[in-house]
Amino acid sequence: MPHPLSGSSALPALRSAAASDTDHPRQRLEQEVVELFDEFRLPLLRYLSSFGLSLADGEEVLQEVFLSLFQHLQRGKSRENLRGWLFRVAHNLGLKSRYRAGRDLEHGTATPAIDPAPNPEDQMLTNQIRQRALQVAKALPEQDRRCLFLRAEGLRYREIAGILDMSLGAVSLSLTRSLARIARSAER
Amino acid sequence: MNHLSDRHLLLNLEGELPPHEKKLAQAHLEACWKCRARSRELENAIADFITVQQQELTAEAPPAAGPRALLKARLSQLPPAAPSLFRTRWGWPLAAAACGLLVLGLVLVRTALRPEDATPLVSTPNARLTPGAALLESRQAVCAQSSTNNKIVPVALRKRVFEEYGIARAKPQAYEVDYLVTPALGGADDIHNLWPHSYSATVWNAQVKDALEDRLREMVCGGSLDLTEAQREIATNWIAAYKKYFHTDQPLSKPVTPQPAQQ
Repeated sequence: MPHPLSGSSALPALRSAAASDTDHPRQRLEQEVVELFDEFRLPLLRYLSSFGLSLADGEEVLQEVFLSLFQHLQRGKSRENLRGWLFRVAHNLGLKSRYRAGRDLEHGTATPAIDPAPNPEDQMLTNQIRQRALQVAKALPEQDRRCLFLRAEGLRYREIAGILDMSLGAVSLSLTRSLARIARSAER
Repeated sequence: MNHLSDRHLLLNLEGELPPHEKKLAQAHLEACWKCRARSRELENAIADFITVQQQELTAEAPPAAGPRALLKARLSQLPPAAPSLFRTRWGWPLAAAACGLLVLGLVLVRTALRPEDATPLVSTPNARLTPGAALLESRQAVCAQSSTNNKIVPVALRKRVFEEYGIARAKPQAYEVDYLVTPALGGADDIHNLWPHSYSATVWNAQVKDALEDRLREMVCGGSLDLTEAQREIATNWIAAYKKYFHTDQPLSKPVTPQPAQQ
């Protein structure tokens, strides 16, 4: 799984690398936030896409998320599991952004998935199945979709439960339901 | 054979089963082709979804350079954090010390304002503590006294009066330890004839009582009032006596000059 940063384990390394570039505490903190931005921008954008937010809206939400992160760290608040913190704040700000936009995406109105680069003919079937899986995922009920997208970004059940304010059992049921649907779509 | 549910299969794949259940699930999977096949389907569903989901946005998203530059610019414009005592090295110890001082201050203030230590307003004596006491002196003896000024009350006696009235820690200068029946009317140097009269009493204060004492002495010595009656009236309720003999409900700012004694 491509998630080397679990919880806060990679943060000391980030901090020490940043410290070698700058001496001023504020600049060091800014540098640290920018590095976290680089690392989590795409995972967070992917999660925000489960809200039906456009890329442009998602990018704007991310700016707010990382400005909040800077202030969070500047106030000396907890650094424990910053990944979970980022997804939680992105979740809340994503909801606000969608509310502001007045969108109702309960059943998903995301843009159709783009066709990846041309494939050999023998991969076409596989790609079609995968595209179908994505379409099914985007058509899931909102809470199921969020669970699935958070899990896809490597968050554990307990973290997902915390972000979405669900029980652990509800998270596992939601993921089971979603994956069963996706599995069914591959059978057709 | 009871097959594993999709939920159990997924929890097993995810490593979310408790150890005991995990053993049971894996033992079942080894024995059951059907559940193994279903578990594989779920894994495939995860693989299908994650592959295309990760590809999709990665292909669509613009390079990070633009948003990163925007974030840097916005970060640099954020105001500096308000200095907080708690973020400094000595912040918490200082805060703890400040809290301690605050608590100490509150205790001291509370101590200073304890009921028994306060400086209550006293404008009438407690009849039980100060019923009044007079010497067995005749009118002639009383009127023969050259000075009508109250005697100075000894310090020890003053202290006892304060203790009796439950104001032992009150400021002594806030009270005049007054004779209820003034010696100028035959009052005795007895604790039952002494009470703490507040100087801060704005209406019925010690000066007003002095005026009454002067008036009664004039009347007694002038023969218009019996000495015993004067002693009784001032001991019973000096304010009522004032009202009676000055014909007023409120103290007069300039007490009426007593009538010349009529022999």
